[in-house]
Amino acid sequence: MTTRTEPSQPVPQPAVLRPAVLRPPLVRPTDGRIIGGVAAGLAVHLGVPVKMVRIGFLVAAVPFGAGLAVYVFLWATMREGTLAPAPSPVDPAQIAQPGQPGQPGQLSAGVRPAATPSAAATPGVAAPAPGAEPGHRVPTSKSLRAWLRSGNEAVVIALLGVVALGIAAALWLGSAGIGVEPQVLLPVVVIAIGALFFWSQLDDADPVGARRPVQWIWLIVGLSLTTLGLVGLLVGQTDVGQIWQVAGAVLAALVGVAVLAAPWILRLWSNLRREQAARIRATERADIAAHLHDSVLQTLALIQRRAADPAVVARLARAQERQLRSYLYDEDARAGTLGAALTAALDEIEDLHGVPVELVVTGDRSMDEHLEALVKAVREAAWNAVRHGEPPVTAYVEVGPTAVEAFVRDHGTGFSLDDVPDDRAGVRESIIGRMERHGGTATIRRRSDGTEIELCLPVEAPTTAPSQPEEENA
Amino acid sequence: MSQQRTIRVVLVDDHHMFRTGVRAELMSAATPGGGSGSAGARPAAPTYAPQIVGEAGAVESATSVIKETRPDVVLLDVHIPGGDGHGGADVIRACAGVQTEAGQPVRFLALSVSDAAEDVIAVIRAGARGYVTKTISAGDLLTAIGRVADGDAVFSPRLAGFVLDAFGAAAGEVAEIDEELDRLSAREREVMRLIARGYQYKEVAKELFISIKTVETHVSSVLRKLQLSSRHELTAWAMGRRLL
Repeated sequence: MTTRTEPSQPVPQPAVLRPAVLRPPLVRPTDGRIIGGVAAGLAVHLGVPVKMVRIGFLVAAVPFGAGLAVYVFLWATMREGTLAPAPSPVDPAQIAQPGQPGQPGQLSAGVRPAATPSAAATPGVAAPAPGAEPGHRVPTSKSLRAWLRSGNEAVVIALLGVVALGIAAALWLGSAGIGVEPQVLLPVVVIAIGALFFWSQLDDADPVGARRPVQWIWLIVGLSLTTLGLVGLLVGQTDVGQIWQVAGAVLAALVGVAVLAAPWILRLWSNLRREQAARIRATERADIAAHLHDSVLQTLALIQRRAADPAVVARLARAQERQLRSYLYDEDARAGTLGAALTAALDEIEDLHGVPVELVVTGDRSMDEHLEALVKAVREAAWNAVRHGEPPVTAYVEVGPTAVEAFVRDHGTGFSLDDVPDDRAGVRESIIGRMERHGGTATIRRRSDGTEIELCLPVEAPTTAPSQPEEENA
Repeated sequence: MSQQRTIRVVLVDDHHMFRTGVRAELMSAATPGGGSGSAGARPAAPTYAPQIVGEAGAVESATSVIKETRPDVVLLDVHIPGGDGHGGADVIRACAGVQTEAGQPVRFLALSVSDAAEDVIAVIRAGARGYVTKTISAGDLLTAIGRVADGDAVFSPRLAGFVLDAFGAAAGEVAEIDEELDRLSAREREVMRLIARGYQYKEVAKELFISIKTVETHVSSVLRKLQLSSRHELTAWAMGRRLL
């Protein structure tokens, strides 16, 4: 059972995206797997029903466990990944994330949905173990699933499977007339169990290789069992007194190897990490480059073409700045709040009129219909200001515990409400009337150097305190 | 303009083009009649004559230029290369204690393309006396430089908004005594609110029936609180962005 495959990193695959891909890549899917996903991946790759592949493995496992060996080998060498939608048992909803060609399995393992029951089960035990063929979609409760994800499933199945396999093999060999000595069989079984423990944890690492404590326990248990089995196998025929000597020698050898290999392994490890980091950075850079190309370069081209028109240029520059800013500061996170609604409303005015409105918001709360009305009133006030007033136009909105106050100010000559003809709906209806309908007030103050419209809307005490202070980027 | 006061200025910005632009703008704004931007709205003749005595484009060169020329005001870009990677804040820390020939400390006016709090609070807490955005008009920039040279603080509406947020003033928290570092006094809150509403200092003074000097005192006091406060949100906010 201790095959020649090594429990190392999945070997780097040749270019997965060949120009003319006839078959889907040979990867182990993270979904729809029963043990290691080998059968599912193979089925997709070969284009045959997954059941056939599974039965094939079971049948092939009968003569001397050949199928098992193949399974283990494939498991160790096949890269874990996501499959393109194909006639496969893979749930299409689960593979929304893009495949990551050329990345080690650990990276893609990190982005898979957390709820995926990634049964890190063991190979080689499917045949005799009764629990190893649990059906395709096991309806498991959440806690059970979490327990399974912790790697315990692998261990249980491994124990059952290896014990059963060992007994079966012993019986079979015994009936075939070949005497099996327990001194040999027992260590072999122990080694197998240990190896399975060890390998069962291959798939379940986080993207950075971090493991949960329980997995470390399994790793250590597996390692100890394997070592124990090897020692047992080697010293099985000798007497007990020598065992300690041999154990000491083995330990010394292991320590020696570890000391010699440690620098190499560390070097290898740090190289790998560096490479991973570089790749992540490269991806980010490509992302940003794509964004810049789509937005900034296009705007710059437009600006060059419209260079003769300062107003258009200024407007383009402001619009681009806003877009870039929301990209940089991730303003999507504030969607659905008063601040976001105000920003959007005033940006729209700026786009329409080309006059920037500087917006400052303190505090924030989620939108409701009254705040909707307030936003519309602020928008109307700012609209008035950019049309009739002089820049700079500023808007300040303060979200207090009992009221939301808004101030829109311009530096124009100002106007008096009495001068506004009655048929003009703008101020009277859109601002004052709207605020009063929603229980608020609106005041227009004419100052020596401009007009200020004050809006006040009483609100209930916020159920959730405004989160951390966050500045607007109008 | 006989009464113009000369202010020695060092420009620190890693964009050569921007330095050239600011230099030209300051020069033309300082000459009567040559002012641009919002000069029409504020016809007051400039009383400050900036004299640019040095320029730098990175933290190290800026530090040495400032120590050498000992200017009144440093116009400091928030994002400049070098140092410990904190941009302008590194320059301010490196130049702590440098004095002008008149014995005044060198004052810093932060300059940034954005006035997002991320960019601003770090330099303010490092010791800048104020900040303005790079889209500011030349006349306003000149006023801001003069104000900073006099040791006053320059708050933009957005910085005032951030202060109101950070000190919980928007939610109604008010300091019992003026000396309290973690909250604004009622008067400071009023001043900050008016600045956030886009009022100039003199408009604030008129609105509150106080003198401009009193407004400046309040603003300076708020600046001090902003720099010294250990108020939880402010500190946590800065820590979260590794600004402290």
